[in-house]
Amino acid sequence: MTDLMGIMVVTLMIWVGLFAYVYRLDRKVSRLED
Amino acid sequence: MRGAHILKWLLLVWLAVVIVAAFFYVHPAEGFIGESSRIVFFHVPMAWISVLAFLVSCIASVMYLKRRDPKDDIRASVSAGLGLLFAVLATTTGAVFARIMWNAYWNWDPRQTSITILLLIYAAYLALRGAIEDPERRASLSAVYAILAFVTVPFLVFIVPRIYWSLHPDTIINTRGANEFDARYTQVLMASLAGFTGLYVWLYTIGCRIEAIRQRRRQEVL
Repeated sequence: MTDLMGIMVVTLMIWVGLFAYVYRLDRKVSRLED
Repeated sequence: MRGAHILKWLLLVWLAVVIVAAFFYVHPAEGFIGESSRIVFFHVPMAWISVLAFLVSCIASVMYLKRRDPKDDIRASVSAGLGLLFAVLATTTGAVFARIMWNAYWNWDPRQTSITILLLIYAAYLALRGAIEDPERRASLSAVYAILAFVTVPFLVFIVPRIYWSLHPDTIINTRGANEFDARYTQVLMASLAGFTGLYVWLYTIGCRIEAIRQRRRQEVL
């Protein structure tokens, strides 16, 4: 794996992790609002 | 509601495509060391979002002073917080770029100096909010502060770095008033700007909803 590919994979993992966190937070807030 | 749900998943795919495109669709730009030019696809949107967030905070503060609606105070504080977060990320990505290009994370370049001042101004905004207990007094004082703080943004972000000689590469619309970016760079950068703007809107709405729940609970306790 090249350095560029490695950095891209790490960046993608950070983005997917951030998305999952925000998505869960969004759902939790929706439950609290009900 | 279903539309908003689809938009969130679309955002996940959109920014994932932007990340892949940033690394493999564009070629390294001339005049930059190695692959450092690719950081532009993350650094510029973060700087853009911070300015947008500070603008939203200023508008919400004006609306608060006009209508005295606590929701406007929430909008102003959430947006200022997000603006600060994205400004820190823009500074960090900028420092990584500086390390590759100029062999030092920090050079006290006009842009680095002006963003530091901006960070301090908005950190003081959050400190001010934390220091006042009375909600109405806090909302009024911080609204005035947010408006005054935003007055400095055009100077610190757009004017000061263009007046003084800077190591910073030309901006998208440079001092000659032209976009001299390669077509592929422009495409990916615009897609990244759109994606990050979507992310900001999502975070902003969640932040406002959390603050509204907090305020409701506080009132229930009282």
